[in-house]
Amino acid sequence: MTDQEIIGLINTSLAEEFELSSDSMKPEALIFDDLELDSLDIVDMVVVLENAFQFKIREDDSIQKIRALGDIHDFVINKKKELNN
Amino acid sequence: MKYDFVVIGAGVSGLSTAIILAQNGYHVALVEKAKKPAPLIRGFTRKGVYFDSGFHYTGSLGDGEILDALFQYLGLSDRLEKVPFDPDGFDLIRCQEEGFELRFPYGYERIRERLLEAFPLESSAINEYLQTVKDTFNSFPYLNLNPDFLDSGAPKGLHGPSLKDFLDRLTTNAALKWVLSVHCLLHGVPPEEVPLAFHACIAGSYYESVHGIKGGGRSLTKAYESQLEKLDVDVYCGQGVSEIIFSPDTSPAGIRLQDGKTLNCRGCISTVHPIELLNLVPTSAFRPAFRKRLFQLEETISAYILYIASRAVPEMLIRNNLVMTSDWNLTGLWENNPLNSRPLYVCGSLPEDSKVTKSGLIGIVPASRNDTEPWSQSISGKRPLEYYQFKEKIAFKLRQHMERSIPELAGNIEHAECATSLTLRDFTHNPFGSMYGVKHKIGQYNPLPLTKAKNLYLAGQAIVAPGIMGAIISAFLVCGFIIGHKQLLKQIQKYR
Repeated sequence: MTDQEIIGLINTSLAEEFELSSDSMKPEALIFDDLELDSLDIVDMVVVLENAFQFKIREDDSIQKIRALGDIHDFVINKKKELNN
Repeated sequence: MKYDFVVIGAGVSGLSTAIILAQNGYHVALVEKAKKPAPLIRGFTRKGVYFDSGFHYTGSLGDGEILDALFQYLGLSDRLEKVPFDPDGFDLIRCQEEGFELRFPYGYERIRERLLEAFPLESSAINEYLQTVKDTFNSFPYLNLNPDFLDSGAPKGLHGPSLKDFLDRLTTNAALKWVLSVHCLLHGVPPEEVPLAFHACIAGSYYESVHGIKGGGRSLTKAYESQLEKLDVDVYCGQGVSEIIFSPDTSPAGIRLQDGKTLNCRGCISTVHPIELLNLVPTSAFRPAFRKRLFQLEETISAYILYIASRAVPEMLIRNNLVMTSDWNLTGLWENNPLNSRPLYVCGSLPEDSKVTKSGLIGIVPASRNDTEPWSQSISGKRPLEYYQFKEKIAFKLRQHMERSIPELAGNIEHAECATSLTLRDFTHNPFGSMYGVKHKIGQYNPLPLTKAKNLYLAGQAIVAPGIMGAIISAFLVCGFIIGHKQLLKQIQKYR
């Protein structure tokens, strides 16, 4: 998967599962403030990403640092690279 | 009339939730689909013999221990007579093919001594295991009443390591690993899947102390019922909820019963299986992500249960239960093995009346719900002949399995009756007929007490843990979100 394909899959999965408009799926969009998700949604988000990419996230430290959609893109891209190595 | 809260489901979680809220001044209704509250722990009587179907013993009920404090808070203690199991061995654990047997005592010091006697070269593994279980147990909110533990690393610990990984690190001794994993049968999640932290919270309670109650689950049910009456909780039985009605601001405004009657409220606590909850709310109540997550939750094993009326209580089952496996390996809990090589758990009942000489014994082996799939659409009492023939065959094999394991039973059995996953499904209203509801396994995200819908809360074994203790803790946890955790913990501290 290319980085662009990964970003595309993240955006469509999250938009569909959280009923968000695709226009709002910009890398700078803040998860809490712009996408209006809250702490209860975070676990659902983890499960959506696990299902979309078939890996387990569990307690990855870098997930704690996620603030914006772009951070999710980077997180998944790095995770994929880690798993491929 | 408008209630503050409607509690859906009158199992131990729902009964406890209703009492806590009522004691805090809320006007509460409790709704139960079965004809009477607590269909599982109430037990049943056949031909004059009482079977304690849901309450086999409990941990941490000793004076000053956590469940004792919670029972007192709930106003149940004065109506119950605790019966301590044998401190020197509450479970006889036996590994058949290895010819190994150990009486598992309670009290950390006794456990340590017993394990050291059996495994003299394993002191560091034994000490580290016991210390870890004790520390983990004591760091969970509501098992520990100190509010500082509210934000402890509970959810973190629930992601690993597994019990198996932890034990593999401690020792290579297969027998010791088996001894420390055999109580997985009490929560239904095998050692390779169960988080050590979760196992510690269940097993740890039995390590403190083990008690039964005189009259068993029926006495406990009666104590709950008296308390509900005293607190003016309105109990609606024999009617399931068909719908949770939402107000425009997406919080519950009431519930509709199956007969069409509505109860108005400003909040709801659902203690039913999370999948069942989805049938009660409009699709718009939750986003697809949450709905899918609930649908994906993996279920614990189901079981075959044999209810035996015995003319005498076998000596080995007096204040002591039997846990038996075929060999050291507990992977997957063997639900698909031949029946006579599956783990077997046997317990008796503690009659209310000491003149009762006949004993209701219960034998349980893990089973897959797929076994009864061909008859899953049929209705209880009207199932096809093949199902009853199948059940007879299972009952026969299970009886043989039990007679071989407890020679005293031979010649004493008056009658025996078998339950399958379909029986469990219809009695407990668990859609899958599993023994302990949703699994608590590594990598699975069980739902929390709070939901995205305002004033709609969740409690029950899927949220915290199975068993009397898990159900009661889930009730306190959910009420903590309503009343305020610090305030609720402070109220409970008076009883400790």
